[in-house]
Amino acid sequence: MYVPPRGSDDRRALDRQGGLGCASLRSHCREMAQRLLLRRFLASVISRKPSQGQWPPLTSRALQTPQCSPGGLTVTPNPARTIYTTRISLTTFNIQDGPDFQDRVVNSETPVVVDFHAQWCGPCKILGPRLEKMVAKQHGKVVMAKVDIDDHTDLAIEYEVSAVPTVLAMKNGDVVDKFVGIKDEDQLEAFLKKLIG
Amino acid sequence: MAAMAVALRGLGGRFRWRTQAVAGGVRGAARGAAGQRDYDLLVVGGGSGGLACAKEAAQLGRKVAVVDYVEPSPQGTRWGLGGTCVNVGCIPKKLMHQAALLGGLIQDAPNYGWEVAQPVPHDWRKMAEAVQNHVKSLNWGHRVQLQDRKVKYFNIKASFVDEHTVCGVAKGGKEILLSADHIIIATGGRPRYPTHIEGALEYGITSDDIFWLKESPGKTLVVGASYVALECAGFLTGIGLDTTIMMRSIPLRGFDQQMSSMVIEHMASHGTRFLRGCAPSRVRRLPDGQLQVTWEDSTTGKEDTGTFDTVLWAIGRVPDTRSLNLEKAGVDTSPDTQKILVDSREATSVPHIYAIGDVVEGRPELTPIAIMAGRLLVQRLFGGSSDLMDYDNVPTTVFTPLEYGCVGLSEEEAVARHGQEHVEVYHAHYKPLEFTVAGRDASQCYVKMVCLREPPQLVLGLHFLGPNAGEVTQGFALGIKCGASYAQVMRTVGIHPTCSEEVVKLRISKRSGLDPTVTGCCG
Repeated sequence: MYVPPRGSDDRRALDRQGGLGCASLRSHCREMAQRLLLRRFLASVISRKPSQGQWPPLTSRALQTPQCSPGGLTVTPNPARTIYTTRISLTTFNIQDGPDFQDRVVNSETPVVVDFHAQWCGPCKILGPRLEKMVAKQHGKVVMAKVDIDDHTDLAIEYEVSAVPTVLAMKNGDVVDKFVGIKDEDQLEAFLKKLIG
Repeated sequence: MAAMAVALRGLGGRFRWRTQAVAGGVRGAARGAAGQRDYDLLVVGGGSGGLACAKEAAQLGRKVAVVDYVEPSPQGTRWGLGGTCVNVGCIPKKLMHQAALLGGLIQDAPNYGWEVAQPVPHDWRKMAEAVQNHVKSLNWGHRVQLQDRKVKYFNIKASFVDEHTVCGVAKGGKEILLSADHIIIATGGRPRYPTHIEGALEYGITSDDIFWLKESPGKTLVVGASYVALECAGFLTGIGLDTTIMMRSIPLRGFDQQMSSMVIEHMASHGTRFLRGCAPSRVRRLPDGQLQVTWEDSTTGKEDTGTFDTVLWAIGRVPDTRSLNLEKAGVDTSPDTQKILVDSREATSVPHIYAIGDVVEGRPELTPIAIMAGRLLVQRLFGGSSDLMDYDNVPTTVFTPLEYGCVGLSEEEAVARHGQEHVEVYHAHYKPLEFTVAGRDASQCYVKMVCLREPPQLVLGLHFLGPNAGEVTQGFALGIKCGASYAQVMRTVGIHPTCSEEVVKLRISKRSGLDPTVTGCCG
């Protein structure tokens, strides 16, 4: 059975922990501290243009119901919302649709690497976590958007994706670099450094 | 509702007027104000035939659109672009057949020195996921190909509005009208459900579902005698599941019957149960979730029941024509089969509307036929060619546990056409080398060549039962297409050691009455 990389599915990460929420006082304090850290971090990382009211600012959405989980902070999906929260980690998120892509990738002031992947693609399962890890190491100078090409075929077609994984480096809405297939950590480091400039 | 004409800049800067339907309205002329239709070619159906046509026409510089839509099966199974072959036919079938064959090879392995602990368990989920992943990659591949060749693709369920226009509803409820100078219908077929049998629809599955099951089907009853039934039952048996085939009369109707019975014999002696002369009457679900099937045994006249986890209907396929509104276009179908009637040019009763593939009456339902017919058709329409599709001597293979490959006439057909006295059949029972060390039973490994008796003895048909039958038969199909004679076959040197060489070593005729068993190998 396919096990998603750690951190990429909030609910599964929580289930592994043994349930929602932490019971002890110590973990409550830890939770508070992490919430503050998250707010500060997100404010510095997510410097986006206002989105014409279509999407609420990421910071308040992210702070809905913070939970402890291995592999860094993750955010649980809020069942009251129709929109599924997409944050995988601090620096990686899943694209929901075209407008979401426009908003968080094209209009992003921070450079974005876009990972076009598919459920049925073996190499994608190797590249994905590796790229996430290398992106996380860049301390917010670059973020990563993940696009499932079966869920977002039009988007993938628009960006001329044929084989997967295809990774695009985007800055100020333009595709400035690209690669197809698996790369090792050093190669990814170089790719990211070049994008950051 | 009034239709709005919208000017759109088409490819190469040409202006095209397109009528756009507003919500709830499907009205408006097929031609826009400028008198031009949207496309040179519209292909209805994105399967083997449809995609081949679309890509060929685009390559010839035409403006092409493909519409494809998969109505979910009664059990809710759905799939992507590519048609039956890619999603619920040839591809997943062959992969699962391979999974089953591997089981057999693992059993042979210790004889060849491999220290493999037996029995080796099989995990359906792992196999299904791998097969499904591959199919999904093909769906994507087709999508990319259409994009690369600038073929417009719509995932809509289309139906005819008039003879040049179809309409369909896209995601979000928007109605789309598409018009074209030429239309090719390639909507294929779907498995038939025996709706007269109580419980058949609610509790049974078909080939549309079997390849997409997440969990193992468990103890399975396969109803039918088609190659779909035999192939499915074959791989289910091969991966270790308790499998029963129920058939009313003969196996593989339309195929050489001697070969067909040997195919069944092999399956029966390798673990598949058979209920011959039986027809189901009722399926009901038991409290524990299993299915109870009731059937009538025509040999005893008695009723009997059995319990299964899964019931798979494989009793034939029906063309996907009902929801097309063919009457609006004036396209005729066969009153018996509802398949579309075409002439030798694949043209329907409407001059600019054509049909190819499984949806067509009187053609073999095979992917390569749909593809070739489609390409030749497009070359005639847009490429100035006059080549017609040749439906003779089409090779095919049934991928049962022991595979059966054939090309040309069956023995019965040859005798019916030419008369017993004018037909000579050469045959041989052989033993594949690989079976020897492994101690495998080769009783049904058999090959026969049906020829005209008069010199040079034109080869009318070749039938091969054995491993890798598809690989063996393909080359000989070329020979038969070129009009090979038995005299030429006799002068063809064999490749040794193979099973294929047994074809060119055929010397014993049925008429002679001599023992056709190949003894020894080199000589």
